[in-house]
Amino acid sequence: MSQKRGQSVLVDGAGAPIGERLVRSLLDDSRIRHIIAVTGYPPETFPVPSSDRLTVVQVDLMRSRQVHDLLFGPARDHGVEVLIHTAMHLSAMAEGVRVHAFNVDSVRNLLELCERHPTIERVVLRSASAVYQVQRDLPLLIAEDHPLNMARNAPQWVRDRVEMDLTACVRMGVAPLQVAVLRMAEALAPGTGSQMFDFLQSPVCFHPAGFDPMVNLLTIEDTVHALSCAIHGEVQGVFNIPGADTLPLTTCIRRWGRVGIPTPDSFLGPLYRLRRRLTGSDFRYGMNRRWFIYSGVLDGTRAQEVLGYVPSHPIDWPAAPSPPEDL
Amino acid sequence: MPFPPAVAEALASLSLDRDTRDRIGRINFRDAGHGFDTFGMHPSFVAFGASVLGPFYDRYFRTLSYGANHIPDSGATILAANHSGNLPIDGAMLWVDVLRRTEPPRVARPIADHFVPALPFIGTVFARGGMVGGSRGNARALLEAGELLMIFPEGVPGITKPFSKRYQLQTFRVGHAELAIRHSAQVVPVGIVGGEEQMPALLSSKRLGKLVGVPILPIPAVPLPLPVRYHIRYGEPIRLDLETEPSQADDPDVVREAATRVQAAVHDLIQQGLAERNGVFG
Repeated sequence: MSQKRGQSVLVDGAGAPIGERLVRSLLDDSRIRHIIAVTGYPPETFPVPSSDRLTVVQVDLMRSRQVHDLLFGPARDHGVEVLIHTAMHLSAMAEGVRVHAFNVDSVRNLLELCERHPTIERVVLRSASAVYQVQRDLPLLIAEDHPLNMARNAPQWVRDRVEMDLTACVRMGVAPLQVAVLRMAEALAPGTGSQMFDFLQSPVCFHPAGFDPMVNLLTIEDTVHALSCAIHGEVQGVFNIPGADTLPLTTCIRRWGRVGIPTPDSFLGPLYRLRRRLTGSDFRYGMNRRWFIYSGVLDGTRAQEVLGYVPSHPIDWPAAPSPPEDL
Repeated sequence: MPFPPAVAEALASLSLDRDTRDRIGRINFRDAGHGFDTFGMHPSFVAFGASVLGPFYDRYFRTLSYGANHIPDSGATILAANHSGNLPIDGAMLWVDVLRRTEPPRVARPIADHFVPALPFIGTVFARGGMVGGSRGNARALLEAGELLMIFPEGVPGITKPFSKRYQLQTFRVGHAELAIRHSAQVVPVGIVGGEEQMPALLSSKRLGKLVGVPILPIPAVPLPLPVRYHIRYGEPIRLDLETEPSQADDPDVVREAATRVQAAVHDLIQQGLAERNGVFG
């Protein structure tokens, strides 16, 4: 993997935990010349200490004029070469035209603008493992060519992610712009849109009786590491980004310090709907049902071979592991 | 999961001696970080499986094994066996046999039909013992990791065939041959004798099977499997890894011919087993 020196980058979604941590990481990266952090909030609220290598701007990604003026203003002036798109609507309950505009239309607009931009050469897009279909007759180990979840009854949260992902994929090879799509495992952290994180917020976690699928989870550190690898990479394509933790769902519940209660599958939908109404939780069982029954683990071979990404930051589990099992 | 690994280990330690547990502790196991491999296998459950199935292997079915030295010590290998008996006891006996007779010990990874991982409890326990769902991607990943796969190329038609067709191989599917060629794996043919008589079926119902999530449900003539004697016979490896190029996995004629060779080898092993056994129970 060859690496450029002195790049300028633009990070959107910088107001969310992943974007913010990415900006901090890039500030520590001597190969990065300048960072434009795009947030939906006033720049003065941005928690990263100011630096002459950092410009913070407030832009609404749904407003194409603002985005245009950002790219052909500060971004062009700083000679931005790589745009990293991490912004994504996080709530699974949010639906409607505006959510779609934020998740999908903004990406389409960004890509169109980047294609004719004088300095931007590469776009790195944060996608999600939720775009994949999981079912009993599909491989447990999910490669990049795994079928996508195109179910007609899939909620907008999933459909938007699939559409956003494909919107970027169709640009590959038809424009001089390099596009790298990173399909990331769920980051077990707040503010990342992780359904698993929401699931684990309850002290008692009901899960399907009789099933204990293997899940793979990512940390924000590895998310940032993967984005950083993609920024410095020079290859376009789709890359799965798994985390360092692959474990059964029940072990995950236990290691998170929760009590797991096996429950008949048919009860779980109503149970979690009730929980959502009572507690305002964002977790939707119906949307995750197949991931809670059939195993699905991202195969990160391609990201390792091409981008040099290897997950190296395991989750700091609150509960101790089981005693060593000496056979 | 019905119970955690610590419980599986405790249960296994009740019936397995220290040597056996040490032996299972030496299996080629790729821990994905929490004691499980990516496919959900856990050594404690392998030990538990060995402890549960051991008495059946030793005392109930009094299994005899021949030619286990044909199983390679390492590297991508496919065990291709005949399938019979309405319940996958033949697979369980083969799994135990491989675990006991390979050195260093290897765990055969049964490749199951798609409906098995969808069965509550059963699918999970089987996965802990090494089973994986029968998709090309899963098999590819395991072969690339140099694992030992257990495949029944007859599939469901083999295990559910009527008693009148016992020891008549159903047409082998070609997937195992294609996998072996594409991933340079050896194929070890396995002839299993005894399974056909363990549980003759009066009839089989697809409709009832649908109700419980299986393709076909046999109605057995006996309430429990009969204590037949199992004979497991391994043949010389078929070196598709040496005789073919991976690119030939796309040639239907080459693949079909390889599958036919495997079927013929399994057929010969079965005939040998039938000729040499001393009755169904002997």
